Amino acid sequence: MNRMRRGTLERREAIFGWKLIAPTVIIISMLILYPVVYNIYISFFKISLNPEVPNQFVGLLNYVKLLTDSQFWRSFGVTIAFTLLTVAGSLVLGVGVALLMNRKFFGRGIVRALILLPYVTPLISIVFAWRFIFLPVNGPLVQFLASIHLMNPGTDIINNPNNAFLVVSVFNIWRNFPFVYLMVLATLQSIPDSLYESAEIDGANRWKQFTSITLPELYFILASIALLRGIWNFYKFDEVYLLSKFAGTLPIYIYNMAFTGIPRQGVAASAATILFVIMIASITLYVKKVLKW
Amino acid sequence: MWKKSFLVFALVALMVGAVFAQSITFWTTEVESNRMQRIQALATIFEAQTGIKVNVVPVQENAVFKRFIAAKAAGTLPDIMEAGIEPLVLLGSEGLMDTQLNAEVINHFGDVYTGVKRLMYAGNGGYYGIPFHAWVQGIWYHKNWLDAKNLGAPTTWYNILEAAKELNDPAKGVYGFVLPKKADSYAEQVFTEIALANGARPFDAKGNVTLNTPQMIEAFRFYKALGKYSMPGFTTVLDALNAYLSGKAAMIFYSTYIMDDIAVSEVQKKRIHSFDPQLVKNTGFANKMMNIRTTSYGQVVGLGILKPSKDKSDAVKFAEFLMTGDNYIYWLHMAPGGMNPTRRSIATNPKFLDNEVLKRYGAAKIANIIAALDNVERFDFYNGKVVTKMSKLSSNFVIGKAINLMFANNWTPEQTAEWAQKEAERVLKSQ
Repeated sequence: MNRMRRGTLERREAIFGWKLIAPTVIIISMLILYPVVYNIYISFFKISLNPEVPNQFVGLLNYVKLLTDSQFWRSFGVTIAFTLLTVAGSLVLGVGVALLMNRKFFGRGIVRALILLPYVTPLISIVFAWRFIFLPVNGPLVQFLASIHLMNPGTDIINNPNNAFLVVSVFNIWRNFPFVYLMVLATLQSIPDSLYESAEIDGANRWKQFTSITLPELYFILASIALLRGIWNFYKFDEVYLLSKFAGTLPIYIYNMAFTGIPRQGVAASAATILFVIMIASITLYVKKVLKW
Repeated sequence: MWKKSFLVFALVALMVGAVFAQSITFWTTEVESNRMQRIQALATIFEAQTGIKVNVVPVQENAVFKRFIAAKAAGTLPDIMEAGIEPLVLLGSEGLMDTQLNAEVINHFGDVYTGVKRLMYAGNGGYYGIPFHAWVQGIWYHKNWLDAKNLGAPTTWYNILEAAKELNDPAKGVYGFVLPKKADSYAEQVFTEIALANGARPFDAKGNVTLNTPQMIEAFRFYKALGKYSMPGFTTVLDALNAYLSGKAAMIFYSTYIMDDIAVSEVQKKRIHSFDPQLVKNTGFANKMMNIRTTSYGQVVGLGILKPSKDKSDAVKFAEFLMTGDNYIYWLHMAPGGMNPTRRSIATNPKFLDNEVLKRYGAAKIANIIAALDNVERFDFYNGKVVTKMSKLSSNFVIGKAINLMFANNWTPEQTAEWAQKEAERVLKSQ
């Protein structure tokens, strides 16, 4: 009797628990799981725009088309380079700035707040601000650089297709380093001073202290940030698209497939599926090897 | 309890009512809020007259396909849409336009200009859309500057280049031209006029890509030469407009949409914070261009009734409503000069000309602009046929990119043409 009651109680609690998380599970399934599954499903079809013409099952044809398209592989390479460069760039810059900001100086509070601006300002306004300051002839930055004879005022840095990759990379590093800085600064503040003091007593110089204390303490936070930024930048679309038609990363390639000219949704979906698989595989590997979970 | 069941009943009644009430969905590419207000007003009048509700949905022109995919999945495809030639033709090439019904509406009016309707001809007597309003592109120039130096009107390659060279004075911040050099549709529109004046077309009669022909190379050469006397940088449409209004450019390519920017104080002040009352008088418009032949370029915006629509007769009624009498004029006055009538009877209607902007230019000049519509030529129309392949090149900005790269890399016209040829073939193959 007693045992039975406990059984029902446990069951009841379990059911209650499920009830509590049900809304979350349902919402996540609708917003994330369903699109992912549907995306995989349509990647096997030639999707018709016309509701009177049924979608045509094409098997792996979309995948074959993609994997034999040199443009796809080019975009793939560009995306890898973009991700590596921007993640490394924002990490180095973020850590550097965080180390500086960890020292005490007059007005530190204001400077710390100012550094966050690139990250918290709405994207569209900073894209326009960048375009404006780099305007040939009339842009303030261009006028300044021209006045000290560093560049020709007629140079259009942002809109030159040859600079596309550099422009979007530098922009991304500049926009995202405050995120790294914020995380690293918080961790730096939690490293006890006693560690540095005893290192100093042992005769370790600044560099030695950095490599033996600071870096190991920062290891997991840096590795986690690298993972997050890696995922985000691999799929980066908005700012790349806003800055240049020539940057040619994979998300742009997918967008062009899906939405320009006559949309090729099936091909775009298979590209997205390939990306998804690559991402899942590399994240799993990364989490195991680097984060050591 | 009673309250609850009443609520349920009311909700069901509302849903049933919504399903059975007559309503059509109308997509428009006029997304600006003041234009939307006018369209909404027209829809309200239409509903009052016919009992048919019109759901007006604003859709950015370059987002038409994106929205179309979503609407197809949601089962909310439009019954009728207003858009430029390219989207209508592309949708039509997928069998989504009711070309015969569009033709019926055109024939019902009987006075739609031949020059504009041929640009939407789908073959077999059908049309991808009903020509609704149109603009013409040309060179807008400071006539007084050219006159002062005895330069001829910029209607020939020779005159254009001469004027650009003479009036270019970068030291004073004044340029002969502001030329599109960015990879966008503005660059393609301008290049189209230049290429057609030299008899160059991107496709031959068999549909092969011909972007590297000698005539095309010459067109790139001319474009690049013009770039020498233009504002530096990869300038685009707004740079051109602002530079012209503020007296920093002698000439620019622009559509007739510029007419209120030039003539109306409030509009001009929004652009450049000042107003030049003499600008209307001192501005000239070259609505054609010649090198080895004469051409003009323009765009037609049409109303297309869609094949999957379930309320086609209502859609026809709405199209006819929009293109008749005062309703039509009310629509066109949304952008006086930019939106020109495609029906002869409206173009000569005194009520159409009774508008602040149009009056400043005078009836003769307006008639002249509308007349130019009859000679409009485009890359996507050749030998009496609409070239649907061109819309694919346009939506991938092939020509704009070629121009952008030519200036960025200082490519020769030959290199540019070769790149464009290869890129066009690649785009068409992947479609």
